[in-house]
Parts: sequence; structure tokens; C-alpha cells
Amino acid sequence: MTINKERNNDTLTLAIEGRLDTVTAPELEKVVNEETADIKELVLDMNALEYISSAGLRVLLAAQKKMNKQGSMKLKGVCDAVMEVFEMTGFADILAIE
Amino acid sequence: MITIRHLKKEYPSSTPLVDVNVEIKKGDVISIIGPSGTGKSTLIRCINMLETPTAGEVIVDGRNLTDGSCDINKVRQKMGMVFQSFNLFNHMTVIENLMAAPVDLMGKTKQEAFDRGMELLKAIGLADKMLSYPDELSGGQKQRAAIARTLAMDPEIILFDEPTSALDPAMKGEVESVIKGLAQKGLTMLIVTHDMRLAREVANRVFYMDQGGIYEDGTPQQIFEHPERELTRRFVSRNFAFEVEIQSRDFDFLGLVTELERFGQSHYLSRRTLNHLQSAFEEMCMQSLIPHFEGDFKMKITVSCLAAKDQVNMEIKYTGGRFDPMNSDDILALKILESVTEKIEYTDLTAEGKSADGPFTNLIHMKIR
Repeated sequence: MTINKERNNDTLTLAIEGRLDTVTAPELEKVVNEETADIKELVLDMNALEYISSAGLRVLLAAQKKMNKQGSMKLKGVCDAVMEVFEMTGFADILAIE
Repeated sequence: MITIRHLKKEYPSSTPLVDVNVEIKKGDVISIIGPSGTGKSTLIRCINMLETPTAGEVIVDGRNLTDGSCDINKVRQKMGMVFQSFNLFNHMTVIENLMAAPVDLMGKTKQEAFDRGMELLKAIGLADKMLSYPDELSGGQKQRAAIARTLAMDPEIILFDEPTSALDPAMKGEVESVIKGLAQKGLTMLIVTHDMRLAREVANRVFYMDQGGIYEDGTPQQIFEHPERELTRRFVSRNFAFEVEIQSRDFDFLGLVTELERFGQSHYLSRRTLNHLQSAFEEMCMQSLIPHFEGDFKMKITVSCLAAKDQVNMEIKYTGGRFDPMNSDDILALKILESVTEKIEYTDLTAEGKSADGPFTNLIHMKIR
């Protein structure tokens, strides 16, 4: 997995590429913890994300909770395979997906 | 459209075709499947006379090809062939490959052949490669170009000899969609293939070849779901398995995911089934079992699938005291597991009437959705 960061005023966009699984989820968690302190909007660009597991979902949930307190979070470019996992776990209703 | 009577093909050391009799109607899309060496390729090569039959008749559109006076080249113009190894002319550009036969054999002008060639290249998404040489193309692009070259002759019949066998899994898909597109256009097609998914999805009729001829002839539904004869049944229910043991928390997870992916692709599982398999593996092993183990452990994972079905099972045996992971409180992992499987069964191998397999005392069986 690779994460590309782009900061624009109060908005941070993280483009996540590859797999968000047991092994890689901690990397995203670290980025979210370290880089979101002073932002109002977090955008997760998932165009190149192919796979997500429950470990990845937990990181998204934690990021959502954090951003609820200081602004907002949205996901864009979610592929069918990842969307299916959002749907089976009810995350499709919790997350703002564009 | 094609009538075959008492076709026999004998080589010095083998007789792949003993007595083939069949009637092929216009618009039939036929997959030809069967074990290696059962004469699948020989059959289609006898239909266009790339192989001369030892005996019997092949009649195409009323012309008897096996009668010495028949102008075979004339009949062949109606019959295109697509080979496993593409057989493009390597010294010609893609568009020249498409123009050669229409100009030389059909008497088209270069302009007409060029226009038609470009139309075909656009239709299969290769227009921007018109001036490339075959060596500059990927395998999938080469095969698409080869199909376009066949279509440039406006054939009524296309014979495919293992069109996707030489391609990487990722490239099989692009060629398959082109073939599926052709099937809907009313062309008569015969496709020799080892790809059971292609055989099943594209055809309205399947020949299972064995014992010197067409052993069973039926719809994909019949051949793959309810074969009537024993050898067909055995062939379509062949089982393939992949086995691995894990005994460290630091095992090569990504390596194993890659192997699962390769196993699934080489047995033609669909993308969706493969995704479910990966989810099931990760949620069960990485999220449910490994975090539960204390100290040393051992897990044996067996993944198996049927040759002709987009269906896969995963069995996990593991050490330690009785532990049914479906009773765990990891709601997220359980939800995913329940969604990606049709069935999950836990067995305590130490229970009465069961027997432990070596050190393994627990068993989880999952049928992936």
C-alpha cells in the first residue's frame, strides 16, 4: 500500500493505493494520527484501493470519529469490491461516500 | 452449416479421432473441452483442412472439403482461425496484418482494406496501435489483433484454438470479452479451450471430447451441471487444491495472499469469488485465529476448487484447545465472514467420534460465496 498526501489549506487528501489489510492498516492509522491535528476536512481518495479488511475498516472508523469532532471526512472513488465490504458491514451508512 | 460424418484422423503413433459425426448449425457457438490429447485441436484443424482427415467427410455450406475437387481456399476464406500463439506477421505493422489477406485474396483495394481494418481495430480498442509491430504489443493485444485480422476477411465461421492459453490471467479477460462480443453477433464459432469459465459463459453448446470423438454434446448447463455420461462427470468435477502451513505470527502474509490470488486465477475463479476468498482468509486467520493463539501454534490451510465451477472451499485446521472463532466478539470480522461465505462449520476434532489430524484439534470449513 502507498499513501499520497496532499494538503490544501484546511483540507488533507490521502490517496490510498493497493490493499488496506491487517498488515498495512497501521500505516494509514499512523498518517491519520500524525497529520490531521489542524485540518477541517479529510478526503480519502480510494480510486486505487483494491481491497479492504476489517483491520482497514477500524482505521476508517477511528478517523471518522476524530474528524467528527473537528470537521468532516469523506471518501471518494470507492471501487465495487471495497463498496461491497462497506455494505456488508453497515459502513456504507456511517461513512460519507461520494 | 458444417456436417461431419465418420471423421477419422490417424497419426503413426495415435488416433485422436476415431469416428466423429456431428451437425453444426449457423450461429452455434461451441466450446470444445476435454483432457489433453483427445483430438480437440485436431478436430477444428480437420474442419479447415489444416490437417487432412484419414477418412470421413467434412461438409461446409454444402461443399464437401474432403472431396478432392473442392477448392479449399475458397471455403477457407469463409472460415477464420485464431491460434494460441497469435501467428501475426511480425515484419508487418498491425494494420498491414489486417490488410494483407483482404487485398491479396478478396481483391479489395488498399483503401477499402485500410478502412475496414481501422473500423475493426477501433471496435476492439487497438486503433492507436495500428502502426505498431506485433513485438511491441502485450499478449492480450496481440490476440485481439489476431482476432481483428480474422474478422477482416468477413468470415462466417471462426475456429479458435486455445485463444487464451498463452496469456497472463490479467490479459485473458480482454480477449474473453472480445470473443463474447462476437458470439452475440451471430457468427458460428468453435472454441477449443481449457478455460472452463470461458467454455461455460460464451457457448450455447459444449462438446466434451474423449475416447476418440465427441463423447458428450449438450448445453453448458447439461455438461457442467448435469453431465449424462461418466467421463464428462469426472472431468467437470476435477478438484484442485492448494495447501499451506503457518506456524509463526510473522509469516509472509502478502506472499500468501499473492499465492492465493495466483491459485484462484489459474483456476479461473471470478474476481468477486477471489475477493471473497481473500476476505475469508484474512478475517478468519489474521483477525480471529492468530490473535487468539497463545504461545506456539500451527495452522494448516487447504483451499480447493472444482475445475468447472466458480466456487471455492477453504478448510483451516489448527492446534490448541477447543475454540470456535464464530463465538468471538469481533463483530466486524464476523460480519465480513458471514457475508463472504455460504456456510461456515466448526468441528472439534477431539470430540467423540472425531479424530485429530496430527497436532490439529480444531477444524473450520468455509464454503466461499
